[in-house]
Amino acid sequence: MLEVRDLSVSYGGLRALQGVSLAVGPGQFVTVVGPNGAGKTTLFKTICGVVPAAGGSVSWDGAPLLSRPASARAHLGIAHVPEGRQVFRTLTVRENLEMGAWPAAGRARWAQTLERIHTLFPILAERSSQLAGTLSGGEQQMLAIGRGLASAPRLLMLDEPSMGLAPAVAEAIFERIAQIHKEDGLAILLVEQRVAEALELSDRGYVLETGRMVLEGPYETLLADDRVRRSYLGLGEA
Amino acid sequence: MLENVLNAVAAGLIIGCLYGLMCIGLGLIFGIMKVVNFAQGELLMLGMYVSLYLVGGFVALGILGPYIGPFVAALLAGPVLFVGGALLHRFLISHVSGLSIASRTETGGFGQLIVTLGISLILQNGGLIVFGSTPKSVLTPLSARAFILGPFPGGALLFLNQARVYSCAVAIVVAIVLWLVMERTRLGKSLRAAADNPVAATYMGIDVDRAYRIAFGLGAGITAIAGGLMATYLTFTPFVGLDYVIIMYSGVVLGGMGSILGAFWGGLTVGFVQQVSALVLPPQLQNAAIFVVFLLIVGLRPEGLFGRSAERA
Repeated sequence: MLEVRDLSVSYGGLRALQGVSLAVGPGQFVTVVGPNGAGKTTLFKTICGVVPAAGGSVSWDGAPLLSRPASARAHLGIAHVPEGRQVFRTLTVRENLEMGAWPAAGRARWAQTLERIHTLFPILAERSSQLAGTLSGGEQQMLAIGRGLASAPRLLMLDEPSMGLAPAVAEAIFERIAQIHKEDGLAILLVEQRVAEALELSDRGYVLETGRMVLEGPYETLLADDRVRRSYLGLGEA
Repeated sequence: MLENVLNAVAAGLIIGCLYGLMCIGLGLIFGIMKVVNFAQGELLMLGMYVSLYLVGGFVALGILGPYIGPFVAALLAGPVLFVGGALLHRFLISHVSGLSIASRTETGGFGQLIVTLGISLILQNGGLIVFGSTPKSVLTPLSARAFILGPFPGGALLFLNQARVYSCAVAIVVAIVLWLVMERTRLGKSLRAAADNPVAATYMGIDVDRAYRIAFGLGAGITAIAGGLMATYLTFTPFVGLDYVIIMYSGVVLGGMGSILGAFWGGLTVGFVQQVSALVLPPQLQNAAIFVVFLLIVGLRPEGLFGRSAERA
């Protein structure tokens, strides 16, 4: 479905990504982990057309994606829940969700998706007419995810959904993401710093370090790897 | 004395509504899209001239007559300047606003200042060449007629200029329609979303450049309609915009940035203060009175009279 091949990105001469490849198939849960500054957000922004690529390709359903305008992604079925949530602060919760349903697919299934979003995050129904800027961080993250779901996507891209949240709230968010993946069969591409929780949920994981993919494989393989255990999970040798 | 007060208050409210509509136009561009547009006064001026020539056209065709014609012309100045504004945005202002400067906000504002100041000067002097320097006005017999109300206690009579009253009514209707469009329609919500967070709006699939273009066109068109309406009761030259651009900015800031209703109330407040201050101040000081009230309100309520506090959070 989504295929990133040999992607390179430079910021003013500095290589942020170098030869990065990854693939997400229908209904798969794929996670990219790595330390701060490894290029995780850059990878997302490049896929989403906000940052230009220096080399390599990204394809969606076999068709090249990088040449399309950034706003085309949502219409093609790719929803992006950005880093730092980025809700529309001056719009109400309900209006935020309506904007998520901007693409034709989201509009066509608006009634069902809204009900689904309210089932997943009942607080959003409660706060429906409140300005999004007045929500707490966790609620804003729920809204950002709901807004992504409102477009009735086939792939949900989540950039650090746990950032800045209390552990209990982050835990709840991860549970919802797992639920969305299982019950809706939605493909998910997740970028996370909370490695243990993130890998636990996923079918396949990638480890990104200083702009390169250093490791990839199914959850069990990654967990068995000494480097992952030491650097990210704080565990000793297997 | 009572008669003077009564008439000044009534004139203040009526002219205030027209200022309110004018401010909504700038409110869209400056308050919501955050584009500093010095040429807004010239958009008002163009609205007046477009309306003037349309009325000339109606007269030549022998349609609509002197009562309906000027108001239809004022409303039509809206779509004309919508297109003009959208083109202006497409070819000039988009380069110094919106997504193109989203990543370099610290320098973007200066570009807008220079570009819109330049557009303003070109339109003023271009207007001088095309329209001439003779003061013009849109002719309607209504300008010379008044509704007379009263007598009120003490024998006071209230004179309401008919051109102003009808212009005020049209302005209120246009303001309500625009408010409904921005609050209730998908298009209006997408414009607000694009202004709130252009990058996130792009992720939603909204074409942000197009949204900004539409918003700028709407802002230009609304101010032009206000200009066309005001042209029925005052005389104007290509430099008329200078008198009003400051009034528009004070109205928008007074009302609280980012709110359509706020811009309208801000404009109403400015018009009211201007007219009522004429009771005690010589005409040269009327605009000074506006700024005294402006400074008072900004000092006491920095978020504006009707600003939403969440936007500042």
